[in-house]
Amino acid sequence: MINDFHYLKPASLKEALAMYAQYDDCKVICGGQSLLIVMRQGMVAPEYLLDIKHVKELSYIKFDDKDGLRIGATTTHREIEKSDVIAKKYPVLVAMEEKLASIQTRNWGTIGGNLAHADPAGDPGPVLIALNAEIKFGSSSGEKTVPLDEFFVDYFETKMEHGDLVLEVHVPAPEPKFGCAYQKFNLLDSDMGIVAAAASVTLNADGTCKDARVVLGNAGPVPLRVTKAEDLLKGKKLDDALFAEAGQIASEEAQPVADIHASEEHRRHVLGVLTKRMLKKAFEQAQKA
Amino acid sequence: MEKQVLRFKVNGDEYEVFIHPKTLLAEVIRDHLGFTGTKRGCETVSCGACTVNINGFSVKSCSVLAIQCQDMEVTTVEGLEKNGKLSPIQRAFLDNGSYQCGFCTPGMLMSATAFISEAKNPTKEQMKESIEGNVCRCTGYNSIVRAIEAVTQGKYKEE
Amino acid sequence: MSHAKYSVINTHVHNIDGVAKVTGRATYTFDVKLPGMLYGKILRSPHPHAKIINIDTTRAMELPGVKIVVTGKDTLGIKQGIWRRYEELCDEQVLPLEKVRYIGEPVAAVAAVTEEIAEAALDLIDVEWEVLPAVYEPLEAIKKEAPTIHEGVERNVNVTRHIEWGDVDEAFEDADYIREDWFKCSGQAHMCMETRAAVSSFTPEGKLTVWASTQSAYYTQGLLAGVLGLREGDVRVLAPYVGGGFGGKFELDAAMFCSAVMSMKLFKPVKVVFSREEDFIASKRRTPMFYYVRTGIKKDGTFCARESRMFSNGGAYTGMGATALYLSGFFHSFPYKWRGYRYDGYRVYTNTLPSTSMRGFGAPQAMFCSEQQIDWICADLGLDPFEVRRKNGHTEGYEVPGQAFIASCGLEQCINEIEKWVKSKGKLPANRGIGISSCGFMSGGIFNWFDSPYSFSSAVVTINVDGTVELHVGCQDIGQGSNTTMAIIAAETLGVKVEDIRVHSGDTAHCPADLGAWGSRQTLMAGNAVKMACEDAKKQLLEFAYAEMGINIVYDLDIKDRWVHIVARPERGLPYGDLVKKALRAKDGQRIMGRGYYTPHRKGMISPAYSYMMQAVDAEVDPETGKIKIHEVMTAHDCGQPINQLGLVGQLEGAASMALGYAYLEDMPFEDGKMMNPNLVDYKVIKAPEMPEAGIIEIDTYEPEGPYGAKEAGEGLTNPTAAALGNAIYNAMGIQMKELPITPERVLKALREKKEAQK
Repeated sequence: MINDFHYLKPASLKEALAMYAQYDDCKVICGGQSLLIVMRQGMVAPEYLLDIKHVKELSYIKFDDKDGLRIGATTTHREIEKSDVIAKKYPVLVAMEEKLASIQTRNWGTIGGNLAHADPAGDPGPVLIALNAEIKFGSSSGEKTVPLDEFFVDYFETKMEHGDLVLEVHVPAPEPKFGCAYQKFNLLDSDMGIVAAAASVTLNADGTCKDARVVLGNAGPVPLRVTKAEDLLKGKKLDDALFAEAGQIASEEAQPVADIHASEEHRRHVLGVLTKRMLKKAFEQAQKA
Repeated sequence: MEKQVLRFKVNGDEYEVFIHPKTLLAEVIRDHLGFTGTKRGCETVSCGACTVNINGFSVKSCSVLAIQCQDMEVTTVEGLEKNGKLSPIQRAFLDNGSYQCGFCTPGMLMSATAFISEAKNPTKEQMKESIEGNVCRCTGYNSIVRAIEAVTQGKYKEE
Repeated sequence: MSHAKYSVINTHVHNIDGVAKVTGRATYTFDVKLPGMLYGKILRSPHPHAKIINIDTTRAMELPGVKIVVTGKDTLGIKQGIWRRYEELCDEQVLPLEKVRYIGEPVAAVAAVTEEIAEAALDLIDVEWEVLPAVYEPLEAIKKEAPTIHEGVERNVNVTRHIEWGDVDEAFEDADYIREDWFKCSGQAHMCMETRAAVSSFTPEGKLTVWASTQSAYYTQGLLAGVLGLREGDVRVLAPYVGGGFGGKFELDAAMFCSAVMSMKLFKPVKVVFSREEDFIASKRRTPMFYYVRTGIKKDGTFCARESRMFSNGGAYTGMGATALYLSGFFHSFPYKWRGYRYDGYRVYTNTLPSTSMRGFGAPQAMFCSEQQIDWICADLGLDPFEVRRKNGHTEGYEVPGQAFIASCGLEQCINEIEKWVKSKGKLPANRGIGISSCGFMSGGIFNWFDSPYSFSSAVVTINVDGTVELHVGCQDIGQGSNTTMAIIAAETLGVKVEDIRVHSGDTAHCPADLGAWGSRQTLMAGNAVKMACEDAKKQLLEFAYAEMGINIVYDLDIKDRWVHIVARPERGLPYGDLVKKALRAKDGQRIMGRGYYTPHRKGMISPAYSYMMQAVDAEVDPETGKIKIHEVMTAHDCGQPINQLGLVGQLEGAASMALGYAYLEDMPFEDGKMMNPNLVDYKVIKAPEMPEAGIIEIDTYEPEGPYGAKEAGEGLTNPTAAALGNAIYNAMGIQMKELPITPERVLKALREKKEAQK
């Protein structure tokens, strides 16, 4: 049962930040696709609810060859999925969005809300970290930009403090020989991942690995970067044996928690398989790029 | 905690309701306005039986605060038919037997309607994905996909 | 038999409730709102097994808006069960007086002016418990030292069932090869889109009206009258549209009972709707079963004997579980001829959600074990699985000794068609395989454990002056399309069009009694009643036609497409509408009325007729993750004469989706008696992207006992799928899956074990 709350509807970002600063027991709603579920379960019961769904200033997708991609926080998943420029420059984002819950959820839910909710099983986190994204958030007293992989602190917790709103996600312009892939393991296509892995590979002109990223979804309290696996690949000429070894490392580094859908052992095993596969896929994309 | 006035359009008509801000769109549609075509089948935003269209986009009305729909246009299953003429997808559902118990049908129709309005030469996989937010326990979905396919192929015209 | 002679049967007919359903006009119990209606909520047990020491409702009653709180003490305390004929199987008080036996069992109910207040009041009911030791698995509960769940029931054995024919031991001695296996079959939630719901309205003249989401308005009426101390005729049950049933909605449920009890005390309408979570934890489930199967076979593939022992997790109460116990054992023999067959089934009480009937009625579990073991035996002996099934399969005229007579059987054609289809697929890529499974199913049960004094099915047809037809039936449309099927049979029989027929169903006050929608009974049983009623009416009409047309009595008259004519000279006749007007006048203004009824007689122990089928499932396994992808399902199906074309395809595809879910997705794990996934996030039902193409090949047979040669279709199609998927995985990967559902983790475990065994 949802508790009674005072409803705050700011007309602008400035007003939103001012209101948020003013009320202590206040939660932010945008699409509310995650929030309303936990409110219905009574797990979250704020006195004030700040609705930023209609703060148009935060709804945009901008791309520039130098600066890269900037997505405003209240941009819906569906807008990202349907964006031509994202499809062209960051196809992995579109592929990720297409498998994020259902169309209804993507139509109403927003990228900022998803990241602020900080569910380690969320899809955008691992992919955006693999894309080396950073996130801008801010309050009435100022803005801050941090790399996305530093943003998540714990289960459902981020670096943001009370009064902070997610403002923007920034993804750097893709390097020339770059590939990125993401896959989740689930029983139903539209489900959250039981586990997931995102990987990106940047190649040097000579074909060796310039940079690599491995990020696991639902494998710990936050999207988990496996730097040990990344370090293994950097500077090397990549091949299947290395991908398998990286997968093995990912499997060992992961901190998955068992539930009815899979044991810890199975999760680790699948994380290894997905890491191996996604690295290979990212590598092949980078080669073709 | 004070109630607020929500003004919005449902199926083309203006409505004004006085609601607690916590009221879900599904509750306003069903309980306040009496459009019981919209169903509810879960508490976890999983089943899609409550799907309606807001400004043409499908949403699950149990996952939207009604107050967020201020000045918007909502269409429910009751709004698909115009003056007794069924919409193309409604007719295609009849021809393909795309329903059995009928409880998921309104939500399915709303998902399908939104999809058809924007789909350009969709693949079968896209048609299936267009209703993946909707659970049907009776049909096995294939007859629903056949109906969507028939409409996207232009076999049904607006009457 | 030629299908061409029919004008309506097996043609493309829209579901007659279609427009109501696609426009949102169809009103379900979930949608019913009456003036002054109150909303009820149910307090449920948090303990799997506990004595109720005291329930204090004072604080709840004080909450503004609360109108009543009831507990078992406010009821007559009658123990009820749908096996009404057998007192010892009536073991469930919907609001128990002394103790609870599973988590989620109702304890008290509240009615208030809003649902929200009712729910808030639940927290204010103080229950004092004495928690008792509990037991959750049948193989534990049957032990001597296990806690007693029902007083006086030794070792918690609720019902046993022995089925035997032939000299089993001798037949085993003749076998060249004997194989034995253990299997574990899971439960499954019906997961009807409309959760259990009821609105009860009791009025001062002592009459109760109940809108209920039920598969049988008549059973609901009888069961409610029994527990409320009312005459059946004083209880009217309405079930206008029902949002799915699948075997889970023909027992008395707490929505019906609690709303009625509270309405009778308040003289106001009370509505109770289960939340999805309540529906999962407290609305019963498919019966989980442990099967031991021992099969003896000759080198040439001739079946000798089978012996099986089955232990089912009955949960806390009997319900329909006793029937599932019997049918599982019977269909475990299907569709083969055994010289000796022996089945011993034990339904064991546990402190879990009661189990009951669900689409397939015990047969999907039985087939999962039987049809996989047959494939493994074929592999062990180097035999062809198609050939072995053909060799031992039922044929027309076969008698299952002492149990059943097979009057129509298209099994061999089903096997031939699927064999052709499988071979046409050629060689499959690695990790992909096709598995087959055959089975059969009943067309309604012959049993009368409900002790109904009425015919199993009845129909009344009346013809209005304009030729339109009112068809009153007791059979229940729960989405399977029975109203349409009955309209088709009526239109065909009367020689009119489907749009001439108005079907009245789901109302005990106006429709004749009928056992309702379960066990695939309605097409055959209610269909026969409708056909008889329409033949009765038509005969009366034709009597006037003879007189009117003044023709030689040696000629036969008939009506087709609203044209009354001489069969031998179809151009000679008169319009049906004209005849109806005249007949009405000739009857002193009385409408033509026909009556029909059906009760099976001398048809064995189980069912008047049996459908047959073989199914193939084409599936692929990811050898690294264990994930299964279903590529296609193909079914060859003998349901006699198809009646409702669109409905039949819908039933087939729907059964495939539900049975695939059972095979590899749906599970109901319990920990300490608590269901771990009572929501649609964690309980996995198949969705559109997972659903494969599911084709159908109809085999043409004629069932003499069925209306126009029809028999069951739809429920039986749930039976073969889990086994066929298991066989597909066996063929793809060489692993034997003995536990349901076939999860990625179980697949990987089996692959690992296979690897280790090869070392």
